[in-house]
Amino acid sequence: MRLALTLATVLLLAFSAGAQAPPIRIGFASAMSGPAAITGEGVRWGATLAVEEINAKGGVAGRKIEAFFADNKAQPGEAVSAVRKLADVDQVDVIIGQTHSGACLGAMPVVKEIGLPMVIEACSHPKIRELSGKGGNEWTFRVALDDEIMAYTFARYMARQGVKSSSILAMNNDFGRGAAVAYDAAFKKAKIQLLSTEFFDPGQPDYRPVLTRLKRANPETILAVILASDGAPFMRQFRELGLTQKVFSRGSLGSAEFLHQVRDNPKVGDGVVEASYWITGLDPEWDKKWTERYKVPPRIHGSLSAITLKWAVVPALEIALKKHGKADRKTIRDALEEVDVKDSPLGPIKFDANHQAWINMILIEMRDGQLRILEKLPTSPALLN
Amino acid sequence: MYAMVAAGLALMLGVARLINFAHGEFFMLGAYAFWFGYSELGLPYALAALLAPAVMVLFGIAYQHSVIRAILPRSWHVQLIATLATSIVLTNLAIIVLGTQPKEVPTVLSSRILDVGGLRVAWQRLLVLAASLVIFWGLHRFVARTRTGKAMRAMSQNREACAVVGVDVQRVAMVTFALSAALAAAAAALVSPLFNIFPDMGTTLTLKAFAAVVAGGFGYVNGAIAASFLIGLTEALAGSYVSYAYKDAIAFLVMIAVLLWRPQGLFGRRIGI
Amino acid sequence: MPRAGWLALGVLVGTAPWLVAAAFPRQQRYVLHVLIFTALFAALALSYDLVVGHVGSLSLAHPAFFGVGAYTAAILATQLRWPFLADLPAAALAAAVVAALVGVPLFRLAEHAFAVGTLGLALVASVVANNWVEVTRGPLCITGIPKPTLGALAITTLPAYYWLALATLAAVMLLYRGLTTFRLGRAFHAVRDNEPLAGAAGIDPLKYRLLAFTVGAALAGGIGALYAHYLSVMCPEEMTVALTVNLLVIVFLGGVGSLRGVVVGAVLFTALPEVLRLAPTWRLVIYGGLLLLVVVRSPGGIESLLRRATGAGAVR
Repeated sequence: MRLALTLATVLLLAFSAGAQAPPIRIGFASAMSGPAAITGEGVRWGATLAVEEINAKGGVAGRKIEAFFADNKAQPGEAVSAVRKLADVDQVDVIIGQTHSGACLGAMPVVKEIGLPMVIEACSHPKIRELSGKGGNEWTFRVALDDEIMAYTFARYMARQGVKSSSILAMNNDFGRGAAVAYDAAFKKAKIQLLSTEFFDPGQPDYRPVLTRLKRANPETILAVILASDGAPFMRQFRELGLTQKVFSRGSLGSAEFLHQVRDNPKVGDGVVEASYWITGLDPEWDKKWTERYKVPPRIHGSLSAITLKWAVVPALEIALKKHGKADRKTIRDALEEVDVKDSPLGPIKFDANHQAWINMILIEMRDGQLRILEKLPTSPALLN
Repeated sequence: MYAMVAAGLALMLGVARLINFAHGEFFMLGAYAFWFGYSELGLPYALAALLAPAVMVLFGIAYQHSVIRAILPRSWHVQLIATLATSIVLTNLAIIVLGTQPKEVPTVLSSRILDVGGLRVAWQRLLVLAASLVIFWGLHRFVARTRTGKAMRAMSQNREACAVVGVDVQRVAMVTFALSAALAAAAAALVSPLFNIFPDMGTTLTLKAFAAVVAGGFGYVNGAIAASFLIGLTEALAGSYVSYAYKDAIAFLVMIAVLLWRPQGLFGRRIGI
Repeated sequence: MPRAGWLALGVLVGTAPWLVAAAFPRQQRYVLHVLIFTALFAALALSYDLVVGHVGSLSLAHPAFFGVGAYTAAILATQLRWPFLADLPAAALAAAVVAALVGVPLFRLAEHAFAVGTLGLALVASVVANNWVEVTRGPLCITGIPKPTLGALAITTLPAYYWLALATLAAVMLLYRGLTTFRLGRAFHAVRDNEPLAGAAGIDPLKYRLLAFTVGAALAGGIGALYAHYLSVMCPEEMTVALTVNLLVIVFLGGVGSLRGVVVGAVLFTALPEVLRLAPTWRLVIYGGLLLLVVVRSPGGIESLLRRATGAGAVR
């Protein structure tokens, strides 16, 4: 009798081990080639690290995760190809990504047509919020804050500090232009006078002409919509020309990446106040793992994709598996609407009627080569009124 | 900076009748070579700055032996496409090998600022100006005085005659090439401390240098130099006074206007250096 | 290729949606999407080859015409609610007008200057698209471009799009064939191969160059309109100078001046990378290398390889 029981148990175990449920397939789309390739690299790194982390802990409710990557070249046409490849060829159940607003906008109609949930980790175009959710595109969700939300919050903060005038300096791409439009409106509301708006091409090295123009407009403050890699030459030349305005920035100027680039003279960045929703230090363990593996400071898009995976998609997968016993595209989409995470590194993640998560905005100050969190500002739809 | 790059391009065009669309990549690779010497090997600035042209000379020679020799006798369309292809290969290999993260090479001179009565300028910029003048003067002397230089001028005027007279056409072409690469690399070593280094940096540069070369009178080095200064100046002025975003477009439009006004280029289709 | 061969190819291509559904049931939408892009790109490459291959003018301005067409259609469709059948010809016309206006002064320039001039045009167009936010919405893109409707027929499914793209390609191929053979074709080639002689023979090079340039631009503009309607979004990133590089690769890899070559080149360039699925940056390295090899060893491109293989007669 005992022998039969043991045999049965052994057979049962062997059987269940062999008949393991297939892994859950998650697609990541970003700019893997072209001038914005650095963002895609970050996403790939972040996703790989996060997936390993999750699988090392046994996966999600026992199911492993498999990551697939596609290149959207930061263009809407390629985004369509990327989505279709992930959906049809790789058969993913959910997509995280696009990173760049043009690509997001191109991908949105396609995920709706296919019926594939997409959780956006970084696109900042306000239109995405308008188009998503109940009554619109029910398959797209966004974790990141968009320019409108951030602009109103930031402008209010600036007004509270007594700022009376400003000039905008923004990258000439979807990110910068969108921000410029948003801050224009936000400044009006906060009664800050906008003296001028300037655009520059990312990657171009010479800021002196535009700095000269800024000097002439003579605003009290400058709102810079700029990334760390451009921020470094910008701030150097800013100091070189002797400008003294207070710099408020939105992008990744106030970041570990920037400090790494100016490590020969960190005081170049002193006094800059950055508005963001991510910074190194929100999740020190993650930062450590990243730096150990990749030998550079954690990158924003990589960390955002990882956080989106761990604190938005994984909870949704858990809900779907618990409720329906399976995690396919439709159940994941429904589950995402029920996600209610209170304490992710970004703040609360709960998708409202427009499928937007209202995470925290963080104000960071740079001084003496250090980043310091000035204030954590929770956001909510009420801010926009 | 534009001038040095354009000069190199013009040299090749005038002497060897070669269009090299990968020229911007010489600049980019030179910048990386400089970065490698300065940041990774820890060489002092001057040494690293000399390392870059040295490396690029070797690269230029290798490039000439492999690719250029094959396309030299072909039509300029073929040359354009072939060198464009090379440019694509080099840029993307750079992304793969060197990574997308831009490199910074701040030097002592780029951080220190000279303040003269309200006009503030980083010392490095003065170095760029001074060095370019020295280099151009050196180039002029080389071309005017040395045998190889004279051979280069002769070749740009009449290639077949040169071969007849006994000039070693291949060798002169190789020297021209090496010189061209060195010029680009020197420019890179000089300006890298001011800006970032990244794999894509060569592409716009090639376009502008090409425009300068054509506007300056196709193959006429001094013309190319003059045209590049014109481009640089227009950009700076347009950027400061008109509109920063449109400055590239304005500079190009000015170039086109110049070409329309004088279709032979600023100084006419002069052959020679 | 013998008649039967052409017929078979035509049947294959025409029934592709069903074949694809049968062969790749789970991936059919992706495959169809790739085929649509391939068809559009092939048509665009042919329109480019008219200028580069048949009148011998190395124009680098094609992205500008593509962009003008795409944006014209996008703006007309979203702001003024024009139907597809109206905004398509408008797009082509707009591109043709720009080409004519710009072509007259540019064609007075010598070869290299012409190339630089067209490059400048492409750059200017790209900058304008990016910065003229009031009209093009710049990097914020024009969204919500409606699906095309042909009268009562709405093109909403992928197979429908495929046939539309295929029809476009067929039309462009016919036009290409028509323009490059008979007397007109010979005139083009005369201008390309020996301009002074052509002039002496009474063929005005300027007139013919301008004709090819304008027609090429009009076609590019029309294809741009189709593209914008397909994606329902149009952004400045779609008309950068990089597009010229892609077109150059297709045309030269495939075989300048040859219909078959260019189409084969487009298929290889668009469809192959999807099949190979390499890392994107490596893909570009391979393209560059391939292009280099082909240009150096076999300047007639794949077309000349094909000819040699089939033992055809005189080249070009």
